[in-house]
Amino acid sequence: MKVLIVTLSLVVSSIAFAGQELKVGVKGMVCAFCAQGIEKSFKKQPEIEKIKVSLENKYVLLTFKDGKSMPNEKIAAMLKDAGYDATFEGQ
Amino acid sequence: MKITTLLLFASLITSLAVAHPTSYKGATGLMSYNTPEMNEILLTYSLQHNFAVAAFYLRDSNSEFYVPRLNYLVKRWNNESSQGNLYLSAGAGVEKYNSEKYGVRLAELVADWESREYYIYLDHIYLNRDNELNPNLVQKNYNHTKFRVGTAPFLADYEDLNIWLIMQAEKHLDEKQIELTQFLRFYVKNSLWEVGAGFNGNWAFNYMIHF
Repeated sequence: MKVLIVTLSLVVSSIAFAGQELKVGVKGMVCAFCAQGIEKSFKKQPEIEKIKVSLENKYVLLTFKDGKSMPNEKIAAMLKDAGYDATFEGQ
Repeated sequence: MKITTLLLFASLITSLAVAHPTSYKGATGLMSYNTPEMNEILLTYSLQHNFAVAAFYLRDSNSEFYVPRLNYLVKRWNNESSQGNLYLSAGAGVEKYNSEKYGVRLAELVADWESREYYIYLDHIYLNRDNELNPNLVQKNYNHTKFRVGTAPFLADYEDLNIWLIMQAEKHLDEKQIELTQFLRFYVKNSLWEVGAGFNGNWAFNYMIHF
């Protein structure tokens, strides 16, 4: 029972402190070498905890620091500076 | 002399067959293309993703060319599963031959299209030269065209080592013969290497890095 409580509390706390994630589609991202600029520029942003780039699924997965986020317009502008076009779910 | 030595050294440790005249905003790119007859180095700094200032060095037939240039991405097609690009470059500099300096003007066109599996590339460079004394470069109009097709034998993702098989056809100056070179391209992260073997027995080594 104690183990169960500890496990549950750990799960709950990890959810509570996990950064918010946003998946952004990227048109034209077909080359890993060319996409390095995406990772480099997002990693410089204070809101970003980590970024995962997937050529296979044509998206970048942004994980924000606790309580942080970034407007879609800024994300789209950063992707434009890297040479790509952003697509957001539901748009 | 010192600059030449440095550039040649850089071309050996780094080495351009895949030109990226512009890259992401704020990126510095170093590219080099080397064969036994030629060395080519392009150092770029992208002020925007579609505009870069650059320094170009070319050694060919005992002449050396030093050309500051501007590179412009005229059009990019960002498709769902592919990307196409059209670049234009222009510059003016000097040709060094037998310790003398002559004026030279440059124009270059690069067009490419790639998906994760296929790649097509066309590059034409044109130099308008004042020097008429080099017997190995008698034309005032220097033309060099490269055409490439490539395929990836497997689909690698962002963090993986990517490998490509590439065939290049090039026409140099007014030589009637078209030179064919097969390349193996490797890239991981921000570094790209190519090793090539020409059908005429020549080697080629190319390198590109962004930082």
